[in-house]
Amino acid sequence: MRAHRTLVVSLILVAVLAVPASAGARRLIIGGSTSVLPLAQKLATAYHQAFPKIAAPKVGGGQSDIGISGAATGRLDIGDSSRDPIRGVDPKGLIFTRIARDGVCVITNPQNPISNLSSETVEGIFTGRIRDWSQVPNHMITGPIDLFDRDGASGTQDAFQHIFLGEALKISSSATAETSNGLEQNAVASDKQAIGFVSFAYTAGVNAAGYRGIACSLRNAKSEQYLGVRNFWMVTKGLPKGEALKFIKWVTSGNAATKRIINSSWIAVH
Amino acid sequence: MAGAEAASPRPPVAVRPARRASTSSWPPLDRVAYWLCWATGIGLCLIAAAIVLYMLVKGISYVRLSMFVDSPAPSLHQTQSGGFSDPIIGTLLVTAIGTVIAAPLGVALAAWVSEYARPAWLSRAVESALEMVAGAPSVVLAIFGLLIFSQGFLGSLSQHSATGGVLGQSFLNAGIVMSALALPLVFASTRESLAQLPDRLREASYALGKTRATTIRRVLLPSVRPGIASGIVLGMGRIIGDTAIITILLGATLRNEPVGGTPLLGTLRGTGSTLTSYVFNNSPAGEGNSHEKAYAAAFVLLMIVLALNALVTRLTGEREPRIWGGRTWRVLRRGAGRLRWTR
Amino acid sequence: MYTGARKQDHGRSGARADRRAERTLGALAAAVLVLIGAMVVTVLIKAWPSFSHNGLGWFGAGGEVDTELRAMREGTPLAGHSIYYFRAWPLLWGTLVTTLAAVVLALIVSTFAAVFVTEFAPAPVRRALEPVIRLLAGVPSVVYGLIGILALAPWINEHLISNGRKQSVIYVVQLNGANLTTGTIILMVMITPIMVAISTNALASVPIAWREGSAALGVNRWRTIWRVSLRTARPAIAAATVLATARALGEAVMLAMVSGSRAFSANPLDGVTFLFEPVRPLAAEILQESEGLTIGPLGHTLYAIGAVLLVSAGLLSLAGWAAKQPLKRYGIRA
Repeated sequence: MRAHRTLVVSLILVAVLAVPASAGARRLIIGGSTSVLPLAQKLATAYHQAFPKIAAPKVGGGQSDIGISGAATGRLDIGDSSRDPIRGVDPKGLIFTRIARDGVCVITNPQNPISNLSSETVEGIFTGRIRDWSQVPNHMITGPIDLFDRDGASGTQDAFQHIFLGEALKISSSATAETSNGLEQNAVASDKQAIGFVSFAYTAGVNAAGYRGIACSLRNAKSEQYLGVRNFWMVTKGLPKGEALKFIKWVTSGNAATKRIINSSWIAVH
Repeated sequence: MAGAEAASPRPPVAVRPARRASTSSWPPLDRVAYWLCWATGIGLCLIAAAIVLYMLVKGISYVRLSMFVDSPAPSLHQTQSGGFSDPIIGTLLVTAIGTVIAAPLGVALAAWVSEYARPAWLSRAVESALEMVAGAPSVVLAIFGLLIFSQGFLGSLSQHSATGGVLGQSFLNAGIVMSALALPLVFASTRESLAQLPDRLREASYALGKTRATTIRRVLLPSVRPGIASGIVLGMGRIIGDTAIITILLGATLRNEPVGGTPLLGTLRGTGSTLTSYVFNNSPAGEGNSHEKAYAAAFVLLMIVLALNALVTRLTGEREPRIWGGRTWRVLRRGAGRLRWTR
Repeated sequence: MYTGARKQDHGRSGARADRRAERTLGALAAAVLVLIGAMVVTVLIKAWPSFSHNGLGWFGAGGEVDTELRAMREGTPLAGHSIYYFRAWPLLWGTLVTTLAAVVLALIVSTFAAVFVTEFAPAPVRRALEPVIRLLAGVPSVVYGLIGILALAPWINEHLISNGRKQSVIYVVQLNGANLTTGTIILMVMITPIMVAISTNALASVPIAWREGSAALGVNRWRTIWRVSLRTARPAIAAATVLATARALGEAVMLAMVSGSRAFSANPLDGVTFLFEPVRPLAAEILQESEGLTIGPLGHTLYAIGAVLLVSAGLLSLAGWAAKQPLKRYGIRA
């Protein structure tokens, strides 16, 4: 009886511990930009639907810099980045493949529905020169401005800095740094006096302010009238290989499924 | 004194129950303290009622039956983001793994400390170590777990990434670290219950010629079953309520993503989410930004914890009378319904 | 622990089975001990680079925690410092303030509540309070955090933080509902039930003869409790405080949600505004940055924070043991 029990227990143990790690095809691990995150999640689900035998890739966040460094160290199969590669800062040997373009909107709380901000106002607010809503033209509320920034690892912050502020000006250091688009959206949605910036897909529940007279909408971004547009990249160490190559090829192939997904909130490039 | 009573016996007087002394005769400072006591007592009741009612109202308004069967879907809109069937399964899996590891281990350790305990320094060291684990923050346990499970030789417990690095996040890993949360509770509860057993139980068993191992297995442990059960349920409650270990060791994917082909093992090695991480992710502190889903899941979580609490109350409510002997006692207990323990 | 009948000979096979069982269980106990020891040692080893690069300055002030961690994540060290540069004072200060405030408040509330339960509460109220305490102790921290961030924080933001107050510190930090006060209040609610339970147990097991003796001398009930019962139960209350402090120290999720969006060193010289400044305690910081655990210097720093927490928990365990020693004199249960 006891021998019987020992045998059964050891069989179970052997089964548990000796399962080869490569049982079945390995799932792709994708991570990085929180701006690319919703797009990557939708693409992963659609990829699995198109090829049922291939497991859906696992998509995570962490911001663009984490995606890039993750791809470089091999922790991620594919890294997502919402900023362009920076020579000298990014690790060597990485290949950036463009998959879409995206708009960046300046957002305010719905109780403060500013419809347009000029470039001087945006620069003044985000560098901390303008500290009160009463100093903003067409202001709808008064009170101190609660400024929300993104973390240094954010690609969206890079894009915002580059497009809206230029190279010389820096965002005020007293701004609260959020670590993802979702948190930034939350923060602005729950604070009447808040202002921040997010990727276009995250503008639900907040007011997207126009920039230089052009509304931040998908149509204006596609027609290139709205200026705050940047690239989405998928980053691999060296040229994509194997499963990663299959996935990236499918994403950039411009087939009906990917086109439909990308055009829903982003700008297709293939 | 006795003489006086013998000399003039008084007729027995019915003893009236003492009236509650009024506080009007107290100095003002004492009266303030009295009212403060009342205030804190009622205040705690009010806070508990407020929490339960608030979660009830929010939960009932947001919970739908479909949420229990739908999987979470990636979407930034609350109406399209699915339900929380995967997180519920995730909670069950992690609790099961944690309990399955912690329960036998805790009982075995408690039995050893209580009955054998040789060498003495080892027994004291084990007790202190378990107390330290009980007091350690769960984040620290989690980061230690991540360190261990990221090593190559434990890669079969989770999955590998492109260049062979181990991910280190899976249900198995989270469950194993969770067992560290429940272990001290099971251990303490079992040891206390074993300590309350009278020695004559053991002596009777030895007198019949049984070995210590058999005594433990056949006499002592069955007698402390309620204590073991309440320890296990307390441990389960602690596991269900923990978020830090899940956040660090479970990969935070929306759905439970299995790894590899084998049905159960694939899920265990894969990543996923539990109710706690689901609530955290959907709150304003997480990415999801769906207040409704967060409230609904938090409501379900609260109900589960309340049910476990009620279970513990039922298990520990019936105090056992001093043991008279295995069988007789059990028959007495079943036959007499609720037995009140009076010393 | 059963001390009799140790060296009985139960027959040769019986003795062998017994010895085998003892050896197996002993080996199990030793394995658990080794594992726990390995945990402590591993965390300390992984934490060492951060301490060695910063020396004792690790615990000091100098710069923003968020900036330093960001530099580690991006791999570009701050000007004039190594990549490991880290000054944990804002985190330590945040932990100190929230934990101390919550424990002191919880001590006061729980003492009065325990006195209420053992002495003044009418029977139906006493019966109702037991499940109430158990409920409050059992609510998961994430639910407390959710209620805090969705109900308490907006209320505090609306009603207690005026625009003028925000204006006064706007050049340094932004005030919102997630701040020191919100975190401390909820932390207090979380640790009070533990202390109430232990204090009630201790107060109830004070020998009844002592209380009767005091009543016989004409002392009113409150004075009796204050001078006799609470004095006797002081070691138990001390042990309960130590336990509650360990719990408060280790609380990560709830504080990550409600105590602040920035690792800021709240300045008591700001007066009342000090109560509304964001803080970030140690455990919450680990949770917040948990994605960086695998990145070199950032990982070492996080493990260093974990090591500080582990050592604190160990010291508190020791303090708890020391606090329980006087209890043996009176046989008070704790």
